[in-house]
Amino acid sequence: MAFSSISNSEKSKPRKSESRKSDHVAPPAEMWQSSIGKKILTGVTGLGLVTFVVIHALGNLTLFFSAPTFNYLAYVIERLRPLLYLVEFSLLGLLLIHIAIGIRLYVGKRSARRIAYTAYESAGAPSRQTLASRTMIFSGLLLGVFLIWHLATFKFGPVYRVPGSTDRDMARLVFETFQQPIYTASYVIVLGFLGLHLRHGFWSALHSLGVATKPSVFMGSDDLGRAISIAIKGLPIAIYFGLLG
Amino acid sequence: MTLNARIPDGPLTEKWDKFKDHCKLVNPTNKAKHTILVVGTGLAGASAAATLAEQGYQVKSFCIQDSPRRAHSIAAQGGINAAKNYPNDGDSVWRLFYDTIKGGDYRSREANVYRLAQISNQIIDHCVAQGVPFAREYSGLLTNRSFGGAQVSRTFYARGQTGQQLLLGAYGAMMRQVAAGRIELFPRRELLDFAVIEGQARGIVVRNLLTGAFERYAGDAVILATGGYSNVYYLSTNGKNSNVTAAWRAYKRGALFANPCFTQIHPTCIPVASEFQSKLTLMSESLRNDGRVWVPKKAGDKRKANDIPEGDRDYYLETRDPTFGNLVPRDVASRNAKQVIDEGRGVGKTGLAVYLDFRDAIASQGKDAIAARYGNLFDMYQRITGEDPYEVPMRIYPAVHYTMGGLWVDYHLMSTVPGLFVLGEANFSDHGANRLGASALMQGLADGYFIIPYTLGDYIATSDMEPVETDHDAFGEAEASARARTLKLLSIQGDKTVLRFHQDLGQLIWNGVGMSRSRKQLEQTIADVRSLRAEFWQNLLVPGEANTLNKNLEFAGRVADFMELGELMARDALAREESCGSHFRSEYQTADNEAQRIDEQYSTAAAWKYTGDEQPPERFSEPLTFENVKLTQRSYK
Amino acid sequence: MKINLSVWRQENSQSDGSFYNYTIENVQSDLSFLELLDMLNEQLMAKGEIPVEFDHDCREGICGSCGMMVNGQAHGPQKKTAVCQLYMRNFKDGDTVTLEPWRATAFPVIKDLVVDRSAFDRIVAAGGYVSVKTGSAPDANAVLVKKTDADQAFDYATCISCGACVAACPNASASLFTAAKISHLALLAQGNPERKQRVVKMTQQMTAEGFGDCSNHGECQAVCPKGISIDAIAQMRREYIRTKLPFG
Repeated sequence: MAFSSISNSEKSKPRKSESRKSDHVAPPAEMWQSSIGKKILTGVTGLGLVTFVVIHALGNLTLFFSAPTFNYLAYVIERLRPLLYLVEFSLLGLLLIHIAIGIRLYVGKRSARRIAYTAYESAGAPSRQTLASRTMIFSGLLLGVFLIWHLATFKFGPVYRVPGSTDRDMARLVFETFQQPIYTASYVIVLGFLGLHLRHGFWSALHSLGVATKPSVFMGSDDLGRAISIAIKGLPIAIYFGLLG
Repeated sequence: MTLNARIPDGPLTEKWDKFKDHCKLVNPTNKAKHTILVVGTGLAGASAAATLAEQGYQVKSFCIQDSPRRAHSIAAQGGINAAKNYPNDGDSVWRLFYDTIKGGDYRSREANVYRLAQISNQIIDHCVAQGVPFAREYSGLLTNRSFGGAQVSRTFYARGQTGQQLLLGAYGAMMRQVAAGRIELFPRRELLDFAVIEGQARGIVVRNLLTGAFERYAGDAVILATGGYSNVYYLSTNGKNSNVTAAWRAYKRGALFANPCFTQIHPTCIPVASEFQSKLTLMSESLRNDGRVWVPKKAGDKRKANDIPEGDRDYYLETRDPTFGNLVPRDVASRNAKQVIDEGRGVGKTGLAVYLDFRDAIASQGKDAIAARYGNLFDMYQRITGEDPYEVPMRIYPAVHYTMGGLWVDYHLMSTVPGLFVLGEANFSDHGANRLGASALMQGLADGYFIIPYTLGDYIATSDMEPVETDHDAFGEAEASARARTLKLLSIQGDKTVLRFHQDLGQLIWNGVGMSRSRKQLEQTIADVRSLRAEFWQNLLVPGEANTLNKNLEFAGRVADFMELGELMARDALAREESCGSHFRSEYQTADNEAQRIDEQYSTAAAWKYTGDEQPPERFSEPLTFENVKLTQRSYK
Repeated sequence: MKINLSVWRQENSQSDGSFYNYTIENVQSDLSFLELLDMLNEQLMAKGEIPVEFDHDCREGICGSCGMMVNGQAHGPQKKTAVCQLYMRNFKDGDTVTLEPWRATAFPVIKDLVVDRSAFDRIVAAGGYVSVKTGSAPDANAVLVKKTDADQAFDYATCISCGACVAACPNASASLFTAAKISHLALLAQGNPERKQRVVKMTQQMTAEGFGDCSNHGECQAVCPKGISIDAIAQMRREYIRTKLPFG
């Protein structure tokens, strides 16, 4: 009998008003297990990461002004080292939570439907199901791998010095890197996946945080994902095709 | 047998309070020692189960659906009446009582109906507190509408889904008790027999519809809330699983069945389109406020509706009754439709429909005004028929959708079998010969939330009963008979399916015990149903096994009972030699073709006693006395 | 017209299932989809075969009994329509239609197209109600509810518990079902006192039943026969966030 499990467990744990009271403020740790808590954590960490990506992209755009501006920005960031560590550790934390929950969601989804449909088709609008939404785990994992590569190339890559200074010449590294065709092409492709991830991710994060999102927000999220992706792709493409001096 | 309705003494307005003041109570600590079996989880069953569990009884709740929330109360559209008088338009408990008893054409008990009207207000309070989202004004207050021709606005509603919202409220209350361990749920179980021990209903035998197992449950009382029997007509607005089996098994165990011929036919349903049509869909009768009903003047006119000029149209309701026109009562509208169709003037592919035309309303009020009022109904019509009612007239046809008859119960809602209580549509109690719109939900919830908790307590407190176990002989005998019957259905292996038998039965009952009845036709119907029943037991084809989910087997058992009920309906209609409410005997009509009551003889409830499969049942009468209202002949002129 | 059906047949929850192909001739366009299955079953029984089992009752889109994947879409191609109200005029002569049961670990197949949705009942049992005792309510008009809130609550309350949201969700999540009940009660003053424990307990039960988590695909709102919006899910999340706030 399907219901005996409920009634039995409830019987052994009589409902008292005191025990109810404790439900009112669920402990924060409970979020890690909760279906909604997980989404809130994903959303918050995702928004944190996307904020970083936007700032990073804006910083990159300074290279369109001049190499010295770009290097100066790198220099300023370098000088804020204690703060930088704090930011880096925070980002690492956000990232690990984001990835861990992402993987759990995927595993959970697989076990929630063990036999796949033979025929399956989205019903179309107002469904929000897109290529982006269906591939979050793959685009996300790809971005994770990319991140390591990206850090290895730039943050932990060759150290050039600005001529006549001890400051690091990041601009030169960037120019040299994006003159390699295969590197540039794969970089641009991966950033396409970042765009894809954000096109669903940004909207989804807002919804996970309880914002009742209108279709316009959904469309806006889509546009924002593309915009960020294009803004970041702009730099390597411009460098590769020699549009920047 | 004399039928004692056990109505409390005293003035009408004080009877219920007096009963509550003096009925016996069960000690709170003792309630948990009593198991109550509640069969059915519609409005009446769910509300009863929830309330009895709240009071501390151990409740076992059974339903044939996979979840209690799917009982057919869910499909009720219109609303629920109450005498709140929020609109300040002159309503009162007395008026609701009076309208209900008059609407029932004086074939119900004064005391029951008055109690119903009294309780109506508490129902609204309770349902609102449960979170039922009734329609509201911008002030935040509840709003009401007038329904079914009532002169006051006393109907509370939740768009066109009032039944759903009320049922979900009761279901929620039930599930709360499930979580608290005071209700144990048994979905996908079908009641097949009762254990009657020392004259008291002490248990039930059900078939587990998934495994086919026969299961026994013992208790101190059994509450049947298993709905009506409209599906005896095959096509009706009821859900496909609605059936009479539980009530019929009770009848065979000694409970009397009252007024089976009182069945209500609703005039505005979407007509039958094909041989395999399985069900009829009701559309709110509010459509008749703006739609005009007509058929061609000439029989066999096959022109398209819009090609028939004004002069060739017969707006027959407006012609026959200039005052009420298209708003005549349900039964009058239905009967007139049947009459013009019998004259060969029906419309549509099958000829079994009349037009309900909004052309003039759209012309005078604009399409937007009509869309605002009926948009969702028009959409529903279009989805089902593929026709756009803004462009071509709707086609409508009457359909059975409620049965006033049911198991006979006294004022305590107890049947003639002690310990067997019957609530909601399954009993015969409050609607007489005709039910008013928005009264079914009211009755189901009154019975379950507010009446049974008192009357059941009184029964438990005043009855002597020994504990019983399910190994008692009565259970063994009940299970053996249920099992034998089920296996018999499988063993016939003829070549006609349940669906075909059900269709044939429906046709017989519709023609014989439908909108208009006559002695000759009723006698023929009895003979025809008997021979169909004989054919059924000779030539039925049920495939598959008994020990698995087998819906054809379930349906076969239900149709077998409908076969027997159909005969009883015809007998009841034959024995009631008058017309009243929904029961129209063509021999008894006024000069204006109105129902002609014969009060001296038939101001009674007829209750039938089962005497064996081969003997005719015995008819008993409960006289209905009217001390507070004056009997009038209905006239809509 | 002629319709080819490819139907998932499965004897019981333990056994493996597979697709069977059937052809039905002379299908009228004003037949409902379930009536097509009735026709199929009559045809099967005439040949001495076992009919296809499917849940159904009201056949007017309100009881929520019926439901199956029709060509990969929950309840078939017509929006805001349960499969019982899907008519054959939506199909063409010679069409092949694939029918599968709802697939979710929390909805085990019972037989053919029939699945066990009792998980939904247990989610409601965890808190999908207002704990009011019969007879204890104040006058119905004693508590005012803003019309806009009442209307919104009604929209959420129309859920028929059919399970299409779970079936269509790529994650087999029951979030729309659970959120519809939580949001319905959260919008009404009557549901207020229990709102915090309600959202916690119902969502815990949802997870315990083995449903997946929501990824905001929004597929559920596209297949819901009552057109319930995923705004309900956003509301449920706001309710949850409240539980983390001491004065929410």
